[in-house]
Amino acid sequence: MVWQRKVTLLKTVLTHFSFSFQTMAQDMTLLWGSSSPPCWRVMIALEEKNLQGYNQKCFSFEKNEHKSAEVMAMNPRGQLPSFKHGDKVVNESYAAIMYLEDQFKSQGNKLVPDSPAEKAMMYQRMMEGNTFYQKIVDALFFMWHVPEAERHDSAIKRNQEALTAELKLWEGYLKASGGCLVGKNFTLADVAIFPNIACLFFTGLCEERYPQLAAYYKCLKERPSIKASCVEKPEEYAMLKDLIKDV
Amino acid sequence: MAKDMTLLWGAGSPPCWRVMIALEEKNLQGYNQKRFFFEKQEHKSAEVMAMNPRGQLPAFKHGDKVVNESYAAIMYLEDQFKSQGTKLIPDSPADKAMMYQRIMEGNTLQQKISEVLYYNFFVPEGERHDSAIKRKQEALAAELKLWDGYLAGGCCLAGKSFSLADVAIFPIIAYLLHNCPLCETRYLNIAAYFNKLKDRPSIKASWPPAWFENPQGQELLKGI
Repeated sequence: MVWQRKVTLLKTVLTHFSFSFQTMAQDMTLLWGSSSPPCWRVMIALEEKNLQGYNQKCFSFEKNEHKSAEVMAMNPRGQLPSFKHGDKVVNESYAAIMYLEDQFKSQGNKLVPDSPAEKAMMYQRMMEGNTFYQKIVDALFFMWHVPEAERHDSAIKRNQEALTAELKLWEGYLKASGGCLVGKNFTLADVAIFPNIACLFFTGLCEERYPQLAAYYKCLKERPSIKASCVEKPEEYAMLKDLIKDV
Repeated sequence: MAKDMTLLWGAGSPPCWRVMIALEEKNLQGYNQKRFFFEKQEHKSAEVMAMNPRGQLPAFKHGDKVVNESYAAIMYLEDQFKSQGTKLIPDSPADKAMMYQRIMEGNTLQQKISEVLYYNFFVPEGERHDSAIKRKQEALAAELKLWDGYLAGGCCLAGKSFSLADVAIFPIIAYLLHNCPLCETRYLNIAAYFNKLKDRPSIKASWPPAWFENPQGQELLKGI
């Protein structure tokens, strides 16, 4: 019967496509470390684009494994994430997520809106995310960057105040938007920024002080791509509790 | 189309220059523009804050769409005006990947230069350390070695053609060489890249009318 043949054909086509998606993911490698918002960004994007099954390896920042020969071979900066698709290396998390959306536009979730206004907002929020992440690094992760002899309470205080001011901006952005950072739909802006916000709450950011950020975090943490890629280790953030309490 | 655009900018600022290069490359001359002086703190004026609550330049608007952040503006412009002017995003996936990576690495390059050049601006006197200055100088030297390596091919940053990566990075290189002329003799590929592109029409047309002079910072750059 004709419809049976159509169903068989449809099944063959679908199997072929999911096999193709798997094959494509099999050409991909991600080197990552846990409790790293930049690494998490790329993992979310891979999930969103239905590219599960990529090759991956976890490296320990504490053991300095991000400076190992294996990472340096793919990223001479000795930084994670480091991503490769076939023979194309794409380091820098923002570069990787933009590349993935561009190359896999027609599969998985659409991560760049069509409307020029929303696209403009998406690009702007993404790039503001760099400033946002830098302020998190300065306020919370400075132990990894600033030798003990160069640390000052005045600097710590100043960086906490800068992070507080930054968070107020994002509270305002979320109040004005529709649930995601750009209107109602999840975009590259959320892929980039959600991990920043999540890591702040893992550290113990006060939800009452930042209700919009808290609502955003609670809503999106259940999103399949985010749940699937969350490999945060709460204990790695526990030591930062004292630094976040005044933010 | 350019008549619907407004750019608020300051001279000698790589982020502002990027947007101006992109506008030229996309044949969008004739946009409305206003210059603000960083030295007089005009980037914190009500007029700038109205368009960019961060009080930062560049601030860019197209119709009713505000697009702050220079990388956002240049990506928006290429996306919206793909079919006019110079094609700024390569077709080949390999070149595209390289372009995105170099653009984002530009943030690191800019930051490492600023950390030395503006050390005395960012770090209050009581918090300054010779060890910190030395560490930042060494980090910048390592960063420049990387870029010198990236530019060894003698071409543009991503493949053979001028792309958004060059729009993003050229201003930083020009800014570095203005503040540290010694770098021209130390980083030959960077110098060659600068000399190759400095006469490109979009770059000549938008060349900064002035640079912010920072002799203390320039001294620190000599030590890299």
